[in-house]
Amino acid sequence: MITLPNSTIEADVLNNLSAEETAVEVKNLDLYYGDKQALFDVSMKIPKGKVTAFIGPSGCGKSTLLRSINRMNDLVDICRIEGKIELKGQNIYDKSVDVASLRRRVGMVFQRPNPFPKSIYENVVYGLRLQGIKDRRTLDEAAELALRSAALWDEVKDRLHDNAFGLSGGQQQRLVIARAIAIDPEVLLLDEPTSALDPISTLTIEELITKLKKKFTVVIVTHNMQQAARVSDQTAFMYMGKLIEYSDTNTLFTAPEMKQTEDYITGRYG
Amino acid sequence: MNKWFKSGTPWIWMTGGAVSISLIMVVGLFLLIGWRGLSFFWPATVYEFDMVDKQGNHMNVIGEIYDSETVPKQQLIEAGISGLENKGDTLERFLIKVGNREYVDLDFQWILETTIKGKKIPDDIVVLERTKNGNFYGYIKEILENGKTLTLSQDELEIQFKTRLSMTQALKDKETDLLKGEIGRINFDLEKIRLAKRKVNLDGELSAQKIAQFAEQSQRLRDEYLVLEKQLFEYRTQAQRDSVVITDMTGRDVTMPIASVLDFYLPNKMTFIEKVLHWFHQTGKFVSDDPREANTEGGVFPAIFGTVFMVMLMAVIVTPFGVIAAIYLHEYAPKNTFTKFIRIAVINLAGVPSIVYGVFGLGFFVYIVGGSIDQLLYPEALPSPTFGSPGVLWSALTLAILTLPVVIVSTEEGLSRIPISLREGSLALGATKSETLWRIIVPMASPAIMTGLILAVARAAGEVAPLMLVGVVKMAPTLPVDGNFPYLHLERKFMHLGFHIYDVGFQSPNVEAARPLVYATSFLLVTVIIGLNLTAIAIRNNLREKYRALEH
Repeated sequence: MITLPNSTIEADVLNNLSAEETAVEVKNLDLYYGDKQALFDVSMKIPKGKVTAFIGPSGCGKSTLLRSINRMNDLVDICRIEGKIELKGQNIYDKSVDVASLRRRVGMVFQRPNPFPKSIYENVVYGLRLQGIKDRRTLDEAAELALRSAALWDEVKDRLHDNAFGLSGGQQQRLVIARAIAIDPEVLLLDEPTSALDPISTLTIEELITKLKKKFTVVIVTHNMQQAARVSDQTAFMYMGKLIEYSDTNTLFTAPEMKQTEDYITGRYG
Repeated sequence: MNKWFKSGTPWIWMTGGAVSISLIMVVGLFLLIGWRGLSFFWPATVYEFDMVDKQGNHMNVIGEIYDSETVPKQQLIEAGISGLENKGDTLERFLIKVGNREYVDLDFQWILETTIKGKKIPDDIVVLERTKNGNFYGYIKEILENGKTLTLSQDELEIQFKTRLSMTQALKDKETDLLKGEIGRINFDLEKIRLAKRKVNLDGELSAQKIAQFAEQSQRLRDEYLVLEKQLFEYRTQAQRDSVVITDMTGRDVTMPIASVLDFYLPNKMTFIEKVLHWFHQTGKFVSDDPREANTEGGVFPAIFGTVFMVMLMAVIVTPFGVIAAIYLHEYAPKNTFTKFIRIAVINLAGVPSIVYGVFGLGFFVYIVGGSIDQLLYPEALPSPTFGSPGVLWSALTLAILTLPVVIVSTEEGLSRIPISLREGSLALGATKSETLWRIIVPMASPAIMTGLILAVARAAGEVAPLMLVGVVKMAPTLPVDGNFPYLHLERKFMHLGFHIYDVGFQSPNVEAARPLVYATSFLLVTVIIGLNLTAIAIRNNLREKYRALEH
């Protein structure tokens, strides 16, 4: 259920996105963990080349929704899904879809930095090696491009072959982002990417997100409402597995339509 | 007092005490077998005793004091020994190693202190190590060349003996090289030709032309052998040229060919430094020589080699099996009761007595698998078995089954310790499950796999009982690795330090002579196991450093 103020032009835009402007469309999604329903009839359109934020109290289902977009929930045995998520018009839960190649198109960055126990370079080219690319020059170029895009190149260019664990937490998180964008995905999912970082690293990542939207569609889950306000173009507020309100960020934070949204952003609960 | 209890101090003392006791026991064990075993190689002082027997006859005894014990006087009187009236309550009794096994009734004699009238430490006493009958103690009298006495002073005698001994040794080394090298190869090739001929015959393709061909080949080898044989006999005659005459403790002159002497030394003349050097020399020989005289003399090299080789072969077999089984159990098997049941069964396998594995190995590997291999691949050698009899391969396989549970359990533990975030990270980059496994999970679990391997090696290297059924022998004529193609002979039987201890200690005709060897071999076995473990631990620590898990 999407509730948008009729008066706002942006809201109409969100509601009536054309197929070309839509990166991901969620259609009547219900999700169950065993007997427990975690998402209730969620429908939304995520616009291309924009930053979309999911906010809401803990356990509201925002991470679950995010993980549904690249089928990370498949790893949970008891998880069951009804409804559709369309990427470029194709239902990603269709039987014919190859999960590995879907995840190549929809990259993901997790809450805690999770570099592999390899060198910085090997971390970045991991996805490319999986695709069977062996040419040294192609890999070198892709690694440099990805690290530059992740604003990490200058800090690590002299120690590309050192172990990635030698980096600070913020650097590790940017490395993970570089790793995700090295395979050139269409959509980049960020699951609370700064919750384990200090304020300065957080700021760097936020600046990075703003830059990234030029090339990728970014979807970010965050606990931090200021962060959502700073980086996102539109924001979805979720509560108890339901999508309560979805509109452009300015509207949602300044003139929320729903009472629950207003209570949450003014800090009355959650 | 109550307060002291509540403070937890007694608990700390108790736990600390438990650790100390374990530590003391381990160190104590190691020191005991180390001391008992290694002191055997120290050149002990050789005494010349003047003794009086019951009839009052004087007797000269030359020997090392091997051991001593205190005996209560009462016991001796009851045993019918008189003349102890003015002695204390206990008396000392010495075990003297007299050597000269072929000339005395007992080469180890218990002697009561009262029978010893005098004790000398003559400088010129010489100890000979011989190829047969153990040590010989006495004085060098003269050296014979082709049966003729050489006129030499005492010092010259020693020097001449030394040079002639090393010349003879060099000849004997050449002889052994010839026997084990060229002649060994010819025998091996002849046997191959015989088998090849038999195979052709079994296939029904034996023609007159082929028979001639085989005959010609063997004839060529035989001709080659005749030349070598001549050379061999020449070495032997040359080595027999010199003899040495030794005066033993009864004054008898004993002539022995220098070829029967392995080494000699004059322990009473040695300085401390010389003794230390001699100790290293003797220890080195123990580690590098072949055993002699039903394993009671000489070294244990084949046993060390066999132990290490078999354990390594076992490690090579058990690691892939264990790791693959653990990966299936942990990653792919559905998490249901049946999987749980399998896991419990695997863990319980570790509790099966090892001799049962030996019986299984003999029945399954040796008779069924080995027998089938012989039928299929070596029909020409039948009825004498190739793989159908106990051998190093079957021993390694049996021990691999024995240690499989350890590897599976610790690999599974390692797999479950890897943070889920790394799996997700890899999957999110478009990796399939198996790509994630082989590129991220298994390398990260490798320290745990090594831990499993360390435990497996420690268990396997100490295991003897099952090996007695599937491949260990008292004396193996050849090592499982040699210079004849295909270099690795996995069907061969082998020697093992653990079995060697049992054999020397309990199957040997000469208990006293064998005792220090039992300690020395035990010490060596422990050292070998510790060495293998330290190597594995070093590799593991290296891997751990490389795949240091995320620190949060």
